[in-house]
Amino acid sequence: MCVDSGAKNVMYANVFPNQPHTSFSYLPDVNNLSIQINFRKNINISSFRYTILEDDKPIVVNQSIDREKLEDTNAGEDEELFSSTSLGIFSIKGKVITVLVYSIEKPQDIEKSVFYGKPIPKAEILAFSKRTETAKGVDYSWIKRPKRKTDLTFTEKDDQITIVKDKSAIDYLYYTSIIDKRTEKVIFQSTAWQYGGIVDKHEFIPHIDIDRSIFKKSGDYEIIIQPLIKWDNCLDCDISPQEIEKHVTRHTLSITLEEENYSKKELIIYGLIICAILGAIGGAFLTYIKKKEAKKLAQQYKEKEILGLQLSSVRSQLNPHFLFNALAGIQNLMNKNEIDNANKYLSKFARLTRNVLDDKERTSLTQERTLLDDYLQMEQLRFGFGYEIKTEENLDLDNIEIPSMLLQPVVENAVKHGIALKNTAGKIEIAFHKNGKNLILTVTDNGKGFDTAQKYGGLGLSLSKNRISLLNSIYKETPIVLDIHSNSNGTKISFTLTDWL
Amino acid sequence: MRVILVDDEISNLENLRTLLEKHCPQVNILATTQSVTEAVNAIEKQLPDLIFLDIQMGKQTGFDVLKSLPQRNFEVIFVTAYDQYGIQAVKFAALDYLLKPVDIDELKTAISKAEQKLAAQMPTAQLDFLLQQIKSPQPTINKIALPMQSEIRYIALADIIRCEADNTYTFFFLANNEKLLVSKSLKEYADLLKPNGFLRTHQSHLVNPDFVKSWLKEDGGVLLLTSGTKIPISKPNKEIVRQALQQI
Repeated sequence: MCVDSGAKNVMYANVFPNQPHTSFSYLPDVNNLSIQINFRKNINISSFRYTILEDDKPIVVNQSIDREKLEDTNAGEDEELFSSTSLGIFSIKGKVITVLVYSIEKPQDIEKSVFYGKPIPKAEILAFSKRTETAKGVDYSWIKRPKRKTDLTFTEKDDQITIVKDKSAIDYLYYTSIIDKRTEKVIFQSTAWQYGGIVDKHEFIPHIDIDRSIFKKSGDYEIIIQPLIKWDNCLDCDISPQEIEKHVTRHTLSITLEEENYSKKELIIYGLIICAILGAIGGAFLTYIKKKEAKKLAQQYKEKEILGLQLSSVRSQLNPHFLFNALAGIQNLMNKNEIDNANKYLSKFARLTRNVLDDKERTSLTQERTLLDDYLQMEQLRFGFGYEIKTEENLDLDNIEIPSMLLQPVVENAVKHGIALKNTAGKIEIAFHKNGKNLILTVTDNGKGFDTAQKYGGLGLSLSKNRISLLNSIYKETPIVLDIHSNSNGTKISFTLTDWL
Repeated sequence: MRVILVDDEISNLENLRTLLEKHCPQVNILATTQSVTEAVNAIEKQLPDLIFLDIQMGKQTGFDVLKSLPQRNFEVIFVTAYDQYGIQAVKFAALDYLLKPVDIDELKTAISKAEQKLAAQMPTAQLDFLLQQIKSPQPTINKIALPMQSEIRYIALADIIRCEADNTYTFFFLANNEKLLVSKSLKEYADLLKPNGFLRTHQSHLVNPDFVKSWLKEDGGVLLLTSGTKIPISKPNKEIVRQALQQI
């Protein structure tokens, strides 16, 4: 490498941890750069290739060495003789020139020389994440885009903190240290970044995991992330500490330890005092709290259980009137000697009854459609009406689940109050479709309608309302909204399952 | 096809005979039997191709018939009145079954499936598997038969990391990094495996809780598995998954 005569602050040939094949030169004040390559005499030069990149753009790719231009050079009197050639002169101001050299016999061993002509950016702390042990593994809480200072509380259950750095092409330059501000001692230092686990825009983001036990006491700690450049080991050095500070990221962590980690001696003294006091008051207090907690837990458990019971009792109601009329319908088929039809409807009846008895909380859209199909065909035995079940094409009917028997009472209502009297002119339309993340299920009939402000005559709608409010009290994030439109031309009832898909 | 019917109730036997005679003329009914001993004797003597086997027979079960036979060179269609004990094991073995009252279309389908299996001379490994599963006094199911395109694989539940829906098919991801495609919907396997603790986290995902490492709070909830895979938890399933993981 040769630089122009005006250049100052040439920090050359820095090698970084875990990057044995990368040589990094920081040339903030250099305008033009001439790059020369030196080969040992015993090396087979014809097998070498080189690639040169300007920033990310390759300007020379897999070039072989022009052997005609090789010249003998040596660096000093006793130094060995090299075969050398120039790779060219490059304008470097504000750019990064990267040279990759490898032998086609060992294409994995790439010697990389980076000439950095831009100011090295300051590292940015993207986030902290605190890991907490839970009954089932661990949980993470995140502090994103922290300002200059972050307050953190560690409880006994918190076992690790992760520092997430912004991604750059030169992550390997930066190292992290943590200083206890009280004692000014460095309590942690790391030159390595971890990758994997944290991903942003399809890229692994550099981070380091730090065991929480390094923080022995509450107080302020400073995190410093800086480039591992030897600032004082350079040609024509003229860099002020203020200038260096421009590359250094400092962040204060104000740590509160919920359970203080005292030294042994302190522990014994405090321990004895606290034990004495706590022993006295604590005992009485603890029993009081325990009783209260247990009562509260039992209460919560009971409430959930009651909700569950109520749900299942609401779910499993199929109108007995329908059940026995359906059986009568089958009896009629038998007596008319329509044996195959009797068999067909008996199967449907069995499937319906099984569905109700199974009392599952969830059912797939396919199963719900079959159930409604069975039900409506049974009803068609009694009343001659038409019906249609429409499903949107891009709904995964087999795998989307809904609360079971959600539509059945409403469909039953449509048959009973809507169209039973209209006979063949009656029509019911059921539709499953989606709107963004919402699943919408509608039941439409062309019956005589009813006044939505009135109390509902049939059992169906009040059952549905009751069930929905119970479901919504358990599954708060995905409320089901019931919408009823009714006039003399018919009724349309829709269930919107919010954020369901 | 030579068939023997086994059921402890005479009316069920009569009904099944009527339906078979009317709708499946290729079936030749060799015998109808009402007890385990009767059934075993008839099967050993007449060597049928197929037996219809009632599961609950008084104090005994249809499985006792199978256990008493040293050789089982026939296909079986189980018949049961209600999905309870027993039928679960039959489903895990991916064997065929009918529910009473028997649906004519389902009966026809079951017969043609049995014919195909007989023609293919599929080994009766599924029956051996079934008997193994129910051998212990308390039937603890720890393996499942997965019907693949050309074979049936028997997989320990403990080796299943997760299942993922692919329309009407299901992918099984195993601990040894194998990925199996099975032509049944995820919903069917969810119904089978949920009682064994598997978690339906999402309309397309079923997860074995033993492989859950942690619950990440990103994107409204994601399960991180020990394999490193992240599985989404959809909103409607969040509460159920949370409760299930708390109980473990």
